[in-house]
Amino acid sequence: MKEFRTHLLVCAGTGCVAAGSYDIKKALEKEIVKRKLHNEVRVVATGCNGFCERGPIVVVQPDGIFYQKLKPKDIPILVEEHLLKGRPVKNLMYVPPAEEKPIPKMMDIGFFSHQRLIVLKNRGRIDPENIDEYIAFEGYQALEKALTEMNPEDIINEVKDAGLRGRGGAGFPTGLKWELCSKTPGDVKYVVCNADEGDPGAFMDRSILEADPHAVLEGMIIGARAIGATNGYIYVRTEYPLALQRIRIAIEQAESYGLLGQDILGTGFDFSIEVKRGAGAFVSGEETSLLAAIEGKIGIPKQRPPYPVQKGLWRKPTSINNVETWANVSHIILRGAKWYSEIGTEGSKGTKIFSLVGKINNTGLVEVPMGITMKDIIYEIGGGIPNNKQIKAVQTGGPSGGCIPRNMLDLAIDYESLRKAGSMMGSGGMIVMDEDTCMVDVAKYFMNFLRDESCGKCLSCREGTQRIWEILDRITKGRGTSADITLLEELAQATKDASMCGLGQTAANPVLSTLNYFMDEYEAHIKYKKCPAVVCKSMISSPCQHTCPIATEAPQYIAYIAHGEFEKAYDIILKDNPLLNVCARVCHHPCETKCRAGQGGKPIAIRELKRAAIEHSNGRTRPKVRKASGEKVAIIGSGPSGLTAAHALAHMGYAPTIFEALPIAGGMLAVGIPEYRLPKKALKEDINRVLNAGVELKLEHKLGRDFMLEDLFKQDYRAVYIAVGAHKSIKLGIPNEEANGVIPAMRFLTDVSVGKQVKIGNRVGVIGGGNSAVDAARVANRLPNVHKVTIIYRRTRNEMPAYAEEIESALEEGIEIKFLTAPSEIVVKDGSIAGVKCTKMNLGTVDKSGRRRPIPIKNSEIVIEIDTLISAISEQPDLSFFEKENDFEITGWNTFVVDKESLSTNVAGVFAGGDAIRGPSSVIEAMADGKRVAEAMDKYLKNKHITFEYRVTRPSVYVEPVKLTVEETLESTRQEPRKTKPAARSKTFTEVDLGFSKSAAIKEAKRCLRCDLEIKEEDEKEQS
Amino acid sequence: MISFILNGLDVQTEDGSTILEACKFYGIEIPTLCYNEGLRPYGGCRLCLVEIGSGENSRLVSSCTYPVEEGLNVRTNTKRVVDARKMMIELLVSICPQSKTVQDLASKYHVTRVRFPVRNDNCVLCGLCVRMCKEQMQSGAIGFSERGYKKKIVTPFNIRSEQCRLCGGCIYICPACQMRCQGPDAETDLCSGCLSLEPTCIETHDDYQCWMGTTGDCGTCEGRPDQRTKPDNR
Repeated sequence: MKEFRTHLLVCAGTGCVAAGSYDIKKALEKEIVKRKLHNEVRVVATGCNGFCERGPIVVVQPDGIFYQKLKPKDIPILVEEHLLKGRPVKNLMYVPPAEEKPIPKMMDIGFFSHQRLIVLKNRGRIDPENIDEYIAFEGYQALEKALTEMNPEDIINEVKDAGLRGRGGAGFPTGLKWELCSKTPGDVKYVVCNADEGDPGAFMDRSILEADPHAVLEGMIIGARAIGATNGYIYVRTEYPLALQRIRIAIEQAESYGLLGQDILGTGFDFSIEVKRGAGAFVSGEETSLLAAIEGKIGIPKQRPPYPVQKGLWRKPTSINNVETWANVSHIILRGAKWYSEIGTEGSKGTKIFSLVGKINNTGLVEVPMGITMKDIIYEIGGGIPNNKQIKAVQTGGPSGGCIPRNMLDLAIDYESLRKAGSMMGSGGMIVMDEDTCMVDVAKYFMNFLRDESCGKCLSCREGTQRIWEILDRITKGRGTSADITLLEELAQATKDASMCGLGQTAANPVLSTLNYFMDEYEAHIKYKKCPAVVCKSMISSPCQHTCPIATEAPQYIAYIAHGEFEKAYDIILKDNPLLNVCARVCHHPCETKCRAGQGGKPIAIRELKRAAIEHSNGRTRPKVRKASGEKVAIIGSGPSGLTAAHALAHMGYAPTIFEALPIAGGMLAVGIPEYRLPKKALKEDINRVLNAGVELKLEHKLGRDFMLEDLFKQDYRAVYIAVGAHKSIKLGIPNEEANGVIPAMRFLTDVSVGKQVKIGNRVGVIGGGNSAVDAARVANRLPNVHKVTIIYRRTRNEMPAYAEEIESALEEGIEIKFLTAPSEIVVKDGSIAGVKCTKMNLGTVDKSGRRRPIPIKNSEIVIEIDTLISAISEQPDLSFFEKENDFEITGWNTFVVDKESLSTNVAGVFAGGDAIRGPSSVIEAMADGKRVAEAMDKYLKNKHITFEYRVTRPSVYVEPVKLTVEETLESTRQEPRKTKPAARSKTFTEVDLGFSKSAAIKEAKRCLRCDLEIKEEDEKEQS
Repeated sequence: MISFILNGLDVQTEDGSTILEACKFYGIEIPTLCYNEGLRPYGGCRLCLVEIGSGENSRLVSSCTYPVEEGLNVRTNTKRVVDARKMMIELLVSICPQSKTVQDLASKYHVTRVRFPVRNDNCVLCGLCVRMCKEQMQSGAIGFSERGYKKKIVTPFNIRSEQCRLCGGCIYICPACQMRCQGPDAETDLCSGCLSLEPTCIETHDDYQCWMGTTGDCGTCEGRPDQRTKPDNR
């Protein structure tokens, strides 16, 4: 046999073939001949390598170098560099997410190194269309052992002792099944391989048949010997052409080698295998209907008993097993039951193959020992969730499985644990879902699949799945009622109980498990008409409007801007938002995070467009100045929440008075947000708008210091809104915190804002990773005597809670961020701070929040020398005014306990909102609270029951879509606002962001996909 | 003979008989729809459910298809059975409210509400006609096509079957073709009619019984010339 120095293993699994691996193979062969390497290098097409995400894949052996995502144009470089010059090509290698260095060797990649390959040991290693290669890797040795050294009882006992259980999902002990079958009297018996794999997102069986078909054949021959069968069938779904082709080739080759047919290996044992093509029904994967399908009948399940082992194919005893089960057999026979049973858990032995798909970095096929935790599969092998999103759930077991929520990822996977968690092993599909997945929509998706695939015989399954789907459809369209939940539960239970076969008995699982773990999402859809993941189209209209806490009609004002009608755009914004200057600059724009244009490219610059609408509208309508009249209401705090509430109440006809403790109005907007982000002039304009609506403002009136709550009620204020914000920095909790030169971030920012003299050294350290930390750092950096600012944060940039654009700006301005560094002690010299002692951290395993937990590295202490330390780890409301009046219910976080809907506290007539109930949060959420309180207060004062009506999101006006030219349709780059250069802004507080020019705004607005138009059509269709 | 437990009693039945047959022999009533003594059991309507086994491993099976096994523990009226059966009847009414057979089942088993949008299909897919045609009429002119919610009974290729002799056996046995008294366009989906002896107005008028006159409370007799006003507050 010819010897080659190097083998190039080209993955020829379906995934890689679809990605173009045959082209790669051709290109490689051509190039190798061209370079005259064809006597030294051999190209082999192998079965599925498993790392489907990265196809087409080539592995160079014996070096073990892993090349991924290859294109034909890469091949000449690869051949020249690697095969001729011996220099592996770095830019074709795999780079783990969030890292920069490529990993050359396949076995060093997390995806491979954490797997345990038994069934898939030959994947990506042998040519599945060549029996010799299979034989070269111990192939058919188990068969020889079983036929020559063991009698049928030995084989059955070996498999029983190994503890092998059915890999098709139900987990019935394989050895026991064989024993029952062998003991049933009868001269004709059958073995059947179930390869009708139909679960969405599952492809284990296909991959085995494609990568190692002989392993399945060997298992079947051994099984046939054990139970005394003479004929076998492999039922492969016709949607798997490559698997069909390879298993047929394998049977032909095995027959020609005397491994199948008459007198196998000269032992006198006769056995032959026939391939049956499935006719495309999911329910044919159920064993009784699969047998019916082989017999040529309609694939409809039958009543068991009699079980197939009693009366199966053509009413003869039949052992039917899954592909993966069969592929396990030869390993058990060859290495023994003891070896096999040492892998796995108490009740579930061996390994299991999972197809890892969905919102995961490393999509592919993984084989892991039973008992591995879900977390290990997702983070160590799967490489975590793409785009730094939060994981929400893992769906296992195919359409009739269930969803395991995020907080149960520590679950050790085996048959029992999954069933207990309300899911099941199924054939091994594992679909990872992130925060952008709506669980009601997921349940609806699977029910849609099942109502289609139910055979339709049992009323419970046919009508049950249909009616469940109808109810879910209703809920996702915003027409659900609270009675629907009870009905769903009852119907799901009945479907489960009353159906005959496995499909019907598990068909309700998607609903039951999501109801169990994600009831809050059902509630959000039914009661609040909100889809938290922003998926259910008919409910959300456009994601931006649906996500906005105050329901700003972004698509409408963007459309007006696209038409060049800035005044109309301005009016749309003003309709819902009295603080438009503020929001146009500092809103954290949840709308942009969910923008549909952002799914394939960059989201629309919604916030910048809002600013453009304000700045480029001439002669815009200004609301008339009103005088306060009507009943008096008091608002404590002039932050965004208080201002919004006051504005709304004034418009409802009340006479609100805002009491502000500080000498300036605006709350956190004035003191927490630095001037270079929100100029005082812009804020002033917004505050004046609120005051002009008929609102009185009393500065330097602090609750608890200057007046008491009861005073307000005595002065005829009928209701009070406490919106005091969260202005108290939390302590660091490390030694020497009281030293001179340690300042809480909020005090620092407030002092700078109100113009107080701030004592600060040359070198400033900031501890924390949130927005106040970054703000404090950027403000400190602007002070005249500061030379160097360092932010100290214990995790990495990916985990930093501050807004990405702020972090970016801070870095631009020359601020250093020390990641993975945690302060342990403040170093003091003569009563003042001299530095901060820090420990370096490493990211460990993932905690419940889905972030990797920082773990201190031993003996890694460093001292960072600084003169001033700003602590900015988090804030709390300052509730010191409560020392005398403590009738209020307060949480452990020092925030108010309020009713979720009305935001009323336990004291009658007193409401609370904004950061005072949420802790440090966003401007727009505080404003939403203010609006909500205004509505609730109005009802309270009119002695009405405080209930709210919720409606699905819809735009208030229809704006004709703007006609686009072809170039405009193709435009995909996001316009960036003009900015002051980093050099020019370093020591001044002038605004950094300068907004869009008129033409840039129009150009950007034209990129909008106008999601709201789609729903208009749908609504019209529904009405007609 | 096989011994098994039926609702707590030790009983015996012939080898090979189904649970339903044994129950009939012992006089235990189990509702059926797709079952007919002259045809092969189908197990599609799921009304003849019984609970077998005990504890965690107990489950519901259709008694018309399940063979009695030695020592089997069968219970015919557990809460699980009753709940599932009522839900099946509720589903049937929602598909086919015009059927007298279905309405009678609802009355008999106290199904008093229908929470699903009503479809007024003309078929419950019990398969009686298909089996009648094939097994008794020896023809096989009709059969099932499609699956899931699209499943229907048709002639091959939707054209008139040469096998059909127009014997009418299918119509004779069809439970959906027997119209309820008010006809297919009844205003209410659930008639709760003659088989239920509970007066329809009992919730409102403890001392007044509906069949003695009309009051208009339940809405079924609204607009009738002999409609009386409410005795108390009208």
